[in-house]
Amino acid sequence: MLSRSNLNRLAAFWRHFPAANAVNLTLIIIGIMLVWLLISNTIENPARYLPSPIQVVLSSFDMIYKGLLPSYFGDTITRLVVGSSIGLALGIPFGLLLGLNRTVADMFYPMMNFFQSVSGIAIFPIVVVWWGNSDKTVLAVILYTSFFPIAFTVLSGVREVPLRYIHAARTLGASRYQIIRDVLLPGSMPHIATGSRLSIGFAWRAVIAGEMLAGREGLGWMIFTGQDADKTSEVILGMVMIGVSWIILDHYLLRPFEADTIERWGLVQR
Amino acid sequence: MPAKLVVEGLTHHYPDEYTGESVHALEKINLEVDEGELVTVVGPSGCGKSTLLNILAGLLPYREGIASVDGVQISGPGSDRGVVFQEHAILPWRSVAKNIGHGLEIKGMAKEEREARVKDFVDLVGLSGFEDKYPHELSGGMKQRCAVARTLCADPVIMLMDEPFAAVDAQTRITLQEELNRIAIATKKTIMFITHAVDEAAFLGDRCFVFSARPGRLKAIVNINIPRERRIWADMNADEEFVSSRDEILRLVREEVSVAVEE
Repeated sequence: MLSRSNLNRLAAFWRHFPAANAVNLTLIIIGIMLVWLLISNTIENPARYLPSPIQVVLSSFDMIYKGLLPSYFGDTITRLVVGSSIGLALGIPFGLLLGLNRTVADMFYPMMNFFQSVSGIAIFPIVVVWWGNSDKTVLAVILYTSFFPIAFTVLSGVREVPLRYIHAARTLGASRYQIIRDVLLPGSMPHIATGSRLSIGFAWRAVIAGEMLAGREGLGWMIFTGQDADKTSEVILGMVMIGVSWIILDHYLLRPFEADTIERWGLVQR
Repeated sequence: MPAKLVVEGLTHHYPDEYTGESVHALEKINLEVDEGELVTVVGPSGCGKSTLLNILAGLLPYREGIASVDGVQISGPGSDRGVVFQEHAILPWRSVAKNIGHGLEIKGMAKEEREARVKDFVDLVGLSGFEDKYPHELSGGMKQRCAVARTLCADPVIMLMDEPFAAVDAQTRITLQEELNRIAIATKKTIMFITHAVDEAAFLGDRCFVFSARPGRLKAIVNINIPRERRIWADMNADEEFVSSRDEILRLVREEVSVAVEE
């Protein structure tokens, strides 16, 4: 009989196989596809309202064949990498500075809180006024979006480094610079890793929104113009690309980096 | 020979963390620690023994009185005074070897020289084979061995120990006490060891400073004349000198505990 405890045991057994998760995922995807297929076959004018998965796959072949999909994808990824790299490169030192110096932190904190609440989308209009519908505009929005989450997490990371580590280094004769290098910086690494992942996540959404609003070629632009041209299958293809790209980026790059930093130092229990 | 550590008329008040009221922690402390001596400091909780250690470590500024090491007045932390903290003070992102060599790295010692020296101290505290482990992979006892090695490796004039074995289990504690005794023989290091455990104070100390309840005063000094080579736990209960010293310390501490309770 398939009781609850038997099911649990089966599930536990199942998890021993790395492939098990992939199998589960595939089953879920197939399930969604079937429901999706069913719906698009029952509604009127599915090409406009909900094209079937098959149509979406076909349109992806078309887009790849024309070279548009790879090019849009490349544009979007490039913007993400450039924008969020600059955002992190500025946000990490800024967060460190704020974490190190309470006077500076008190001075900047209200301002940071203010800008944190004014989202990337909310600053879009003014940036467009300055730089028009340009790549510069999109990059500025990405940079702005990724800057605050990382600055805030690094700030709290530095502050949360236990005082006893700092004391230990001081009694070994460490200078202020050596304390920053050997204690505060590595001590806030888990926060830097988590903050980076968070920032890049926000930046990813900002890229898509930025491309839509500024009309720059990329995945965001693709779904926006797809709607205009009444090509719903391209809209859905774009959405799927956005989600799948993020999952791959997060799963294979950001999460391993975060987990490695945190786990290797045993700062949290596995 | 002049004493390594000299404290004269040290009085300390600090504001209470919650009420803000002034707490009288130490009152006119006078004490000296000679070269190569291991002194223990024992007293009821709140007697200011940790305050004293923090002042000596240079982590707590003081205004009244004098505290000096090798004739130099203490005015901040320095590598002449190494500290072994209660627990969890080795850096989790450094391996055992990197933690132990940290003090030498701070001093700017060249890598090869440093690694050779680190190896000596890894061996001294019995951590051979664990050099590349990270602190979270070590037991509580091993972490404290690593902390002791880190402090000794930087070669301080005096090693200050703040209840370093309080957080480990009883069996490990006994082993660590015997190890520290062995290290004291091997290195002839001047050590001040703070504890609230009377047994520990009697087992480790050449002399034991007994502190009174708040405000902390140096109430009595108990001499423990047992050669270090003879200090093995298995023999201690049959050792008259140990038993009488321990009972004397216990009596002195209990007087203070009852004072604290009556207040």
